[in-house]
Amino acid sequence: MLKLVKAEAGSPPPVRRPSRLLRLLSRPEVGPLILLVLELSAFGTIRPLYLSPFNISNVLDFTVELGLIALPTTLLMIAGEFDLSVGSVFGFSAVLMWTLFNSGATSLGLAFVITLAVAGGIGLINGWFVTQVRVSSFLVTLGTLLVVRGAALYLTQGFPQRTWSAAGSRLAAVLAGEIHIGRFHVYMSLFWFIVAAIVLHYVLAETKAGNWIQAAGGNPGSALARGVNVGRTKMVLFVLTAMLAAASGITSSIRTSAANPNSGTGYELEVIAMVVIGGTALTGGRGTIIGTVLGIFILRSMHSGLVMIGVPGLAYEIFVGAIILAMVALQAWLDRRQQAEG
Amino acid sequence: MAEELVRMEHISKFYGRVQALRDITVGVRYQEIVGLLGDNGAGKSTLIKILSGVVQATSGEIFLHGRKADIRTTADAIASGIETIYQDSALVPQLSITRNLFLGREPIKGFRLFNRMDHALMDQAARALLLKVGVTKDIPPATAISALSGGERQAVAIARALYFDSELIILDEPTNNLGVAETRSVLNFVRNARDSGHSCILIAHNIHHVFQVVDRIVVLRHGTVVADDIDPRKTSIEEVERIITGPDAAEP
Repeated sequence: MLKLVKAEAGSPPPVRRPSRLLRLLSRPEVGPLILLVLELSAFGTIRPLYLSPFNISNVLDFTVELGLIALPTTLLMIAGEFDLSVGSVFGFSAVLMWTLFNSGATSLGLAFVITLAVAGGIGLINGWFVTQVRVSSFLVTLGTLLVVRGAALYLTQGFPQRTWSAAGSRLAAVLAGEIHIGRFHVYMSLFWFIVAAIVLHYVLAETKAGNWIQAAGGNPGSALARGVNVGRTKMVLFVLTAMLAAASGITSSIRTSAANPNSGTGYELEVIAMVVIGGTALTGGRGTIIGTVLGIFILRSMHSGLVMIGVPGLAYEIFVGAIILAMVALQAWLDRRQQAEG
Repeated sequence: MAEELVRMEHISKFYGRVQALRDITVGVRYQEIVGLLGDNGAGKSTLIKILSGVVQATSGEIFLHGRKADIRTTADAIASGIETIYQDSALVPQLSITRNLFLGREPIKGFRLFNRMDHALMDQAARALLLKVGVTKDIPPATAISALSGGERQAVAIARALYFDSELIILDEPTNNLGVAETRSVLNFVRNARDSGHSCILIAHNIHHVFQVVDRIVVLRHGTVVADDIDPRKTSIEEVERIITGPDAAEP
């Protein structure tokens, strides 16, 4: 039996109010939200410039590009799988698109479509090895991480690709065009990030697919027994993750006017950190898009804040690591408390 | 109408070169609870997995209502009215009661953007179902399964089978790790399911639990049926235990 804290003969209406507040507080996003607010107010107090439109705009530029990878990764991790190859796909996609375009073989638009398709193919390969050959996704995507990075290096012989010819192209404007809103300057990627966050939140929380994703990670045996196609669900998520990593890499290359075969190195770990800090269980089954959005901003605004208050940039990872440790400890504690209540 | 709801004929199953089932023929009648017994490795779970579409028989046929049925996937089995409740994997612990009830059969609302689920219908059905199964009447349907006791979980799983009007409910070790009171209420659910027109196959290590509720006992040993018509009212537990272990039981 559930131990419900409820007096047998008590008056029900006054009892319900605090319980609703409590339920709100026990939502998984509350921890990350508090952390983000604390962080912003701390940095803002020490360095008021931190909250200036200029700095906020600067932080947003790269944040949403990484965020575009973290969003689908959230669904993949809720379904119980990892993708370590996203950083390589990020770098590879940009150089593939620019190589195709610069060689004169295709138009920019066609190069973009081909690159997304190739990235989808990488996702399919990841998914196929995980669901059909039944190798752990950690190992499979470690393999594709190396293969894809190697392909980017070989394709370019290690040299960055020219990207400046993108100026004036409509595709470049749609993906990474710059917009000025008051004293803020933002890129179109912010818009795409918001769209992706809303759509994926809707899919996870409201749709049948969302139910399947959570079940696939929570208890695959049970999901299978209920007729859920666990393999196909994971496959779709691997493809989605790879394609959004490619879109992110291409967008970033247009914004920074650089397509370097080495770019994106290490992003996979930062993305996983964002997702985990946002409250998604490493073991799968549980997590939210709102949490990940908070996790994305926690890490990137911390990066900027540390630089602004004069902490050497190289010390950034010390803080990332410490925050991950704190968040997983908090999660473990919440889990234990929930178990004890059950 | 055929005399039996389900009939499995000449079922054999090889895992590589190992034969798990040899020429099994067994049936379940309408409104009947069959106890499926056998030692570890006797083939009980393989037989159940074939019936519920998790694995496919190497040879043999399955008949439903006397008609040949083609069960290749778990979705086929569920569509044919066969609901299997496995001991650890009946439910997804992280998901709510409501989401578990409808997992794999989510009702979709008229507005079909990405197959949006009909949350209102799901909540309403879950609430009604929880009231019906009784033990869980205080629990909101949004509660995660991980917060429920073992008996409550079984109740939810059985309620789900009843809601979707499964004709055959297969219960794999439903009384494992349950206390006395919860065991009694789970066995009561099984009886109620039969009385409301369902058939059940019950697998349990605890023969006493099986004896309390089943109409007929089938015993498997080394992948074959060694007895398929034991009446628990006319047979002693010791006798059934002897049939389960077989004549070679004295040897190490």
